[in-house]
Amino acid sequence: MHEESNVPSVFKAIAFLSLAILLVPMAVVVLAGLNSGDYLTFPPQGLSLRWIKAFLTSPTFLSAYGVSFVVALGATLVSTLFGTMAAVFLSRSSSGSVPVLRGFFMLPIVLPGVVLGLALYVFFVSSGVGLARTMPGLLIGHILVTCPFVIATVTASLVGFDRSLEEAARSLGAGPVTAFRLVTLKIIAPAISAGSIFAFIVSFGQFELTLFLTAPDLQTLPSAMYTSMRYKFEPTAAAAGIFAIALVVISMVVTSRLVNLKKIFER
Amino acid sequence: MAPAPRKAMSEPGLWWLCLPAAAVFVVFFVIPVASLFGLSFNKSVAGVISYSNELTFDNFVRIFTRATYYEAILRSIWIAAVVSVTSLAFGYPLAYLIAKTTHPGRNTLLMILVLSSMQLDMVIRLFGLMVLFGDNGLINGFLLYLGLISRPLPLMYNTFGVIVGLVQITLPFMVLSLIGIIKAIHPSLEEAARSLGASRLQAFFSIVLPLSMPGILAGALLVFALSISSYVVPALMGGWKVIVLPIHIYQQIAEVGRWQFGAAIAVVLFVTSVIAVAIYHQAAARTSGGRT
Repeated sequence: MHEESNVPSVFKAIAFLSLAILLVPMAVVVLAGLNSGDYLTFPPQGLSLRWIKAFLTSPTFLSAYGVSFVVALGATLVSTLFGTMAAVFLSRSSSGSVPVLRGFFMLPIVLPGVVLGLALYVFFVSSGVGLARTMPGLLIGHILVTCPFVIATVTASLVGFDRSLEEAARSLGAGPVTAFRLVTLKIIAPAISAGSIFAFIVSFGQFELTLFLTAPDLQTLPSAMYTSMRYKFEPTAAAAGIFAIALVVISMVVTSRLVNLKKIFER
Repeated sequence: MAPAPRKAMSEPGLWWLCLPAAAVFVVFFVIPVASLFGLSFNKSVAGVISYSNELTFDNFVRIFTRATYYEAILRSIWIAAVVSVTSLAFGYPLAYLIAKTTHPGRNTLLMILVLSSMQLDMVIRLFGLMVLFGDNGLINGFLLYLGLISRPLPLMYNTFGVIVGLVQITLPFMVLSLIGIIKAIHPSLEEAARSLGASRLQAFFSIVLPLSMPGILAGALLVFALSISSYVVPALMGGWKVIVLPIHIYQQIAEVGRWQFGAAIAVVLFVTSVIAVAIYHQAAARTSGGRT
């Protein structure tokens, strides 16, 4: 703790203010979802489960939650498989194309979501493949933005991987695939889980990309919330938000047990 | 795969692992984005979405000669710049605190808080901000209740509201760009300055701040790129009164049906953020200075 006391108090004050900026809006969503009035005002009116109930019986929000869940699950499965395969290649190959490829796979998260969504929509419409505003089309968009997270997470864990472990297995008679499955895969399994959790959350919270990819009967949770906020501003959206916040916080706690968070996010 | 000797798991035989991901990216990313670029050079016809070989710069000429559009470009850049600076002012002290927190439990807790707020759906966080900053919101309600103001302050549906929203959303990215570089600065440098009589703040401003410059630059440009491309924040916190580039794109496509012109604005937005990201990567390369 002696190091922490080295932080100037002005810094501590601003740091706590920053934490407040990050966390207060989340707390407000929870309060708004549990508030008994129509709109969270000061002073608050008291607690009730009215909006939670409204959420659990709302056809719009429930089906949106379902769509988001299905899309996130599908995108996570595909991204985890394709992303892990690509990460193994990227960390093992000594080819000169590796740095280029690595940058290439990160592009979808660099491109503005609105632009990527628009590009996909225009592509789906003009090529006549019939994917515009359909579930598979939505899924494809989500795979593009979740795959980079799996690739980054798994590559990070493979960088420090000791190849001699795998070679030991091979020298004991295991085939390349068996050695990979029994040794490497076991060791990078936590990173794969972490990557797939990231993929799931990123997909679940994706809004700007889906702007042109959803349809009135195919709304994801963020797009249903957005519509409700622009036209009605009902606390049902906040109640839906409570479930999403719980999902994210639990996933982050689980991820922090699986991998060293800093290794992935610190540059 | 042929039974290759010994080096079977290494370089040459593995390229196929990359194929599925690369195929998806080429078909659904490279081709659509390239087509969007192509479309932006087609003549703009409302409601028509097909490619023609007649290329024209009309859309771009229109963007740079009509006040609504070039003012939106300038407004987008200005807002993104203000957000970068504000996000840095709030993010640096938090990153510094996390970098100096050695207690493992507390450190993980702070990381979880920052990462959760980064990963949580933006629309949900904006709901919280709108409840706080609206005319009947908690902040105005509180100030009215205390009798400090007689009319609600205009905190939302204006540029200020958009900046608040963007700072909230970009702050975690700023913090994460800074933690690593602050940590890499050896504490003995600061201690040396202190032992020579500098105060904690003096030591900070003469030693730590200059050494963390590459991270500051990298974080600021990342935040810039994120801010300039945000649609949902100006739409909700600006109430469609703060017109920036992504809002124009949406209007052109969803309301006017001018695909080619919308595509051209998207290209301008994309090029602007690519320039920011390119500078960011150079800054990042200098930051790592061979570490990667």
